[in-house]
Amino acid sequence: MLRPNGPVARCWVKILVCMKQVPQKDAPLKLNEGGTWIREDVSYEVNEPDAYALEEALRQKEKHGGEVVVITAGPARAQQVLREALAKGADRAIHLEDDRFVGLDAFNVARAFAAAIKEDAFDLIFTGLQSDDYGYAQTGVLLAELMGWPHATIIMQIEKKDSGIRVKRELEAGFFQFVEMPLPAVLTIQSGINKLRYATLIGIKQAKNKPMRKVSWDDVSGAVGENLQKVEKLYVPQKTKKTEYLEGSPAEVAKKLVDKLRNEVRVL
Amino acid sequence: MASTTSKRKIAGGSFLIEETNPREVFTPEDFTEEHLQIAKTAEEFYVNEILPNADKIEQKDFSVTRGLLKKLAELGLTSVDVPEQYGGTDMDKVTSSIIAENISRSGSFSVSFGAHVGIGTLPIVWFGTEEQKQKYLTKIASGEWISAYALSESSSGSDALNCRAKAVLSPDGKHYILNGEKMWITNAGFADVFIVFAKVDGEKFSAFIVERNSPGFAVGAEEHKLGIRGSSTAPLILNDCKVPVENLLGDIGKGHIIAFNILNVGRFKLGAACIGGAHESLKHSIQWAKDRKAFGKTIADFGLIREKIAQMAVGIYAGESLVYRTVGMMDAALSEIDKSAPDATREIRKAIEEYAVECSIIKVWASEMLDGIVDETVQIYGSYGYVEEYPAERAYRDSRINRIFEGTNEINRLIITGWLMKRAMSGQLALLPAIKRLMDEVMSGPSMPEEDDRPLAAERAIVASARKLSLLIAGAASQKYMQALVDKQEVMGAIADMVIETYAMDTCVARAERLLAAKGEAGASLAVAMTRAYLSGSMAIVERMAKKVMADVAEGDMLRTQMSILRRLTKYEPINVIAAQEQIAAKVLEQGKYIL
Amino acid sequence: MAETILIVVEQREGKLNRVSWETITGAQAIAAQTGWTIEAAVVGNGIAGIAAEVAAKSVAKVYALESPKLAAYTPDGFASALKQFIAQRQPKLVLMPHTYQVRDFCPKLAASLGSTVIPDCIGYKYEGGRLLFTRQMFQGKFAADVSFTGQGPWFATFQNGAFRGDQVQEGASAAPIENVAAEVADVRTSPEEPFKEAKQAVDLTQAEIIVSVGRGIKEQKNIDMAKQLADALGGEIAASRPICDSGWLPMERQVGSSGQTVAPKLYLALGISGAIQHIVGMKGSRSIVAINKDAEAPIFEIADIAVVGNLFDIVPPLIEEVKKAKAGA
Repeated sequence: MLRPNGPVARCWVKILVCMKQVPQKDAPLKLNEGGTWIREDVSYEVNEPDAYALEEALRQKEKHGGEVVVITAGPARAQQVLREALAKGADRAIHLEDDRFVGLDAFNVARAFAAAIKEDAFDLIFTGLQSDDYGYAQTGVLLAELMGWPHATIIMQIEKKDSGIRVKRELEAGFFQFVEMPLPAVLTIQSGINKLRYATLIGIKQAKNKPMRKVSWDDVSGAVGENLQKVEKLYVPQKTKKTEYLEGSPAEVAKKLVDKLRNEVRVL
Repeated sequence: MASTTSKRKIAGGSFLIEETNPREVFTPEDFTEEHLQIAKTAEEFYVNEILPNADKIEQKDFSVTRGLLKKLAELGLTSVDVPEQYGGTDMDKVTSSIIAENISRSGSFSVSFGAHVGIGTLPIVWFGTEEQKQKYLTKIASGEWISAYALSESSSGSDALNCRAKAVLSPDGKHYILNGEKMWITNAGFADVFIVFAKVDGEKFSAFIVERNSPGFAVGAEEHKLGIRGSSTAPLILNDCKVPVENLLGDIGKGHIIAFNILNVGRFKLGAACIGGAHESLKHSIQWAKDRKAFGKTIADFGLIREKIAQMAVGIYAGESLVYRTVGMMDAALSEIDKSAPDATREIRKAIEEYAVECSIIKVWASEMLDGIVDETVQIYGSYGYVEEYPAERAYRDSRINRIFEGTNEINRLIITGWLMKRAMSGQLALLPAIKRLMDEVMSGPSMPEEDDRPLAAERAIVASARKLSLLIAGAASQKYMQALVDKQEVMGAIADMVIETYAMDTCVARAERLLAAKGEAGASLAVAMTRAYLSGSMAIVERMAKKVMADVAEGDMLRTQMSILRRLTKYEPINVIAAQEQIAAKVLEQGKYIL
Repeated sequence: MAETILIVVEQREGKLNRVSWETITGAQAIAAQTGWTIEAAVVGNGIAGIAAEVAAKSVAKVYALESPKLAAYTPDGFASALKQFIAQRQPKLVLMPHTYQVRDFCPKLAASLGSTVIPDCIGYKYEGGRLLFTRQMFQGKFAADVSFTGQGPWFATFQNGAFRGDQVQEGASAAPIENVAAEVADVRTSPEEPFKEAKQAVDLTQAEIIVSVGRGIKEQKNIDMAKQLADALGGEIAASRPICDSGWLPMERQVGSSGQTVAPKLYLALGISGAIQHIVGMKGSRSIVAINKDAEAPIFEIADIAVVGNLFDIVPPLIEEVKKAKAGA
């Protein structure tokens, strides 16, 4: 794309950020009548981990030039997520708009995304670490597999290299690891990697005029298959909060407590 | 379609003489996606930046306040009322109010913010010369400079024109030499530029732009205040203070035009800020009520606590309805103005002045609503509400100033009645014909009311009665006192209360009607419950005030006649306010906050 | 022929990740109900020792998928090695622990086989001949039972703590181990050595374990004992307001209405009475253990595990027991 006011250097990265709209964190959720999903009459917001992915993409663009494109799948309400991203500085948006996208499993969402961006040539695809509703943490990895690209998950830092990128992965127990890979690639971004910006008033005003491409169900349904898994039942987990009193000599109590910490609380 | 507002220019005060068409009432449901995004930015800023710094702000660490104002400026949130050519974002008054509401959730910072973006900035926007705008507005818009507004003095507050500060032209004609003292100046401790009022030659009331580093300019000691302790309030001392002649703001002797116009804006924004504070207190109340246990239950299970929570939500509902209806009218009027025209700022001022009575209503109503809410928040917290460690105590102290500044609520009540009378006399507002029509109607005896089987018919009838009672009483009082009415302050105040409640009720009903049309019975049921709960208390005030004035202005047969009219107008089935409040409390407690 | 459950145990740097025992326990429970056979696989290079360790458990067979290209973990390497193997073996169900490593490659592996993963499960149900996997949704506000609709091989991963690792059944005799020369396709990512970073500023909201002290700690010097317990548990130290007001711990470690709101896996309250202003800051904790002298202390109302007693008597042996348990791990 020609960007007359853009940086002189060649666009380094064209980044796609996958975003999702999820129920607001403090919204009281209720089950639907069939107990298969929540009632949809709640307030929604951007999946927070995706906000970090967007922020990282914007920072990369500010550093190296390029383009940030945001994509989401969902009904009309999901457009709010894209508008917000555009207000924060994304250049354009792609909205796979249909109620049916809500019920897709992660693999099918990834397939729909892959089909929708066939014409685009991205260098990087970012997703948030996971979604606050399903919490599957799969869309990014699946998209990499579908695109035939390398990937890395739970990323804390991204450096540009001549040969591609060098990223810092978070491992468990306080460990980290640097990994190098060629582009194009998919990264899932760890929350807290950066500090989120606010949408500025100017950004909000300008967002209206940025391109938003709508993709219909029919445009991508050919790429989507049967869901391979199904939520049979959603329910409120039973609370079993009963205070259990431990008795005995201090040494006995200490033993019992450690046993519980290991086997019930499972922190040892 | 019922869900869209039409943008007819509506005359200020017309809610009192004609039935409201709900489709012409702007409501929060009319916010655009842009408005909602701006609200979100402002709210996130409050939660992530202001709230964590609340303690530092409270300890008068003004560098924190300045830093936050600068950050807000970078986001464009401080310059909504500033034209784009001076670095502003130049947006509508709805946006301006949305920002005020969402930023102003805790007292101290709200006051610093409000003084800077409102009364400190607008005088230059509206009355500044091109040079003054270039020089000052750009820096104010960018947050580099913080502004303040200096009108009051130790011996002149509400009667600001009575000021003693003096300005005399220097012998070389290059400076005004200012002498005197200004008092209660918000942001004085750290502001860079002040709008200072003084009388040229001790006679002609005028305004000046005064920089902090002007020779002869000094800021006195910080006041020790009951609340909003994190804001700066100090006197200015002008001791042969040299102000360049080009810093005269507006015309010599026309300072009062600046002072009065600015206050209209200050008042509706104060209303918006009170809504923000109310949201915060309600949130705390809900949280506490759910956490606190007594008699083996959470206190949120108790009816008397639930009732308070419901009343708070009703306060927010009515308050936001009032604020946005009013600014919506302003925006509709402002949208007709060609901003590039040479007299554009004058037209803008006039358009806002048109709603002076609504601005005063908002100021009085919202400040008293918030005072009620913070008071009940303390009550819900019990002893914990009385100690500094919990948020209830600070909010309780912080709220109190709202009834005092931007014109005391007493002054504003006099403005409400006085303004309406003046408009009636000049014929600008067809108040007298309305009163006459009403008298004819009541004198012709009881008539069968028109059949109205639309939803909210009973509620509309109550509003109609309130409107009639207000007109009746205003008519009776002016007949009795004629020109001397302005000196009969108790009567003026009582009439103002009736007018205030009429506007509030009318607005609640109109919004509920809009919601019914857009969302159906289920979707509007909460709004309807809040409207009914509000009407029940509000109509009682109208009745009480009507009787109060009647007893003063009439006696004997006349009084009996008026009482029979009052009885006729107040004959309505009592609203089941307990049921309405129970419904509201259940919803609000479930959501953890006010949400419609 | 009975169906097979394949467990992919996790090794890092040539060491078995203990959480793998939990997965085997889970598989053994499923097998007990379904009658399916359990097999296990280890992926890596030079992993004979781990394979032998796993073979001691009650499993039918252990496969060691080895290749020099698998010496360091890469998603390409692990996914392609397992893809070949699974395509050939055709297990009905593949189970793994839900670790960061598994999250990194398992969805890719399943997709490459045309299948799917139900991740992060906390349990399973076997109802009317159908297997359902239970997982949390909406950040734990709901639980969901999820089924597979396709033919398999099905993949599921278990959350840390879903089963008890110490209840894994030992085998009567060591299971046979089969070495498989893994076929590894192109590995596109080049990993460097894992490293640990210096500890950063405390963020209690991110802590998984918090040891919190209240007035019952009595003197500033006693804070040290609580710190030792926190260190032994690998957690953070925190306090109620009076402790921070006294300057015994910095304000940033205060939990409660005027401090931080936390929700760790374990909140161990030492000498905290449980005033409401403290409770609001920690009641969301997954597990609350309270040690307090006063049996009437309100903290016990919300505690999962309660010890009524003198914390100065109980904490020292507790530190020792925790250290022992950790060393045993």
